[in-house]
Amino acid sequence: MTRVKILLFATLRERAGGAKFIELNLPDGATVQALKMQVAREYPALEQNMRSVLTTINREYAFDEATLPDGAELAMFPPVSGG
Amino acid sequence: MRPSDHPTIFQITEDELDLNALLDSITLTSTGAVAIFTGMVRGVTSRGEAHETVYLEYEAYKPMAESKMKQVADEIRERWPTIEGIAIVQRIGRLYPRTPTVLIAVTAAHRDTGVFDAARYGIDRLKEIVPVWKKEVGPNGEEWIEGDYIPKAGE
Repeated sequence: MTRVKILLFATLRERAGGAKFIELNLPDGATVQALKMQVAREYPALEQNMRSVLTTINREYAFDEATLPDGAELAMFPPVSGG
Repeated sequence: MRPSDHPTIFQITEDELDLNALLDSITLTSTGAVAIFTGMVRGVTSRGEAHETVYLEYEAYKPMAESKMKQVADEIRERWPTIEGIAIVQRIGRLYPRTPTVLIAVTAAHRDTGVFDAARYGIDRLKEIVPVWKKEVGPNGEEWIEGDYIPKAGE
């Protein structure tokens, strides 16, 4: 198992009670898809968000089949709305 | 000056946007044209569902936002090789109506070398891939604004 830390922004951060990040345990070599499922299980308040959430690995957009590298910087957030 | 030395500025800031300073930093001796786009906080919206905005609260995933801004600048240079300087700056924090929020400025020798299209491309891409969000606070409540663009692999 690996303990991973996920940075949260915007709606996700607020729904997680204002937490700038959450931490959870995942099997080694887990994918983005597995990460989303684990977040939904451990943080029911974020379950709805997991359908449209964007996930990044080391500041690049990552997709469901991507494997989480050891020690990577992970983040989750809604589609962006800057400008 | 060789194109690889052309100035590129990309920044997330809590400070007021200083148009003159930014313009100065992307102007070369060969520059004869600049296209500048600035987004503003709109207090009164009439398009779509009409409403009023008291203020917007912006936040960013700063290191990734700045690296994606650099990517937008690289994409601009790839499409319009004649562009000289590029500035892409997003202000965050609490911003009230009539305040500039974002600035995209591109310089070139002449106005017919793509500066207008490049500035347009810059703001459109920023709204697609740069991780910045805003919460809209109105007279009757607040709401996070979410975009509708899902980045593709490699973006």
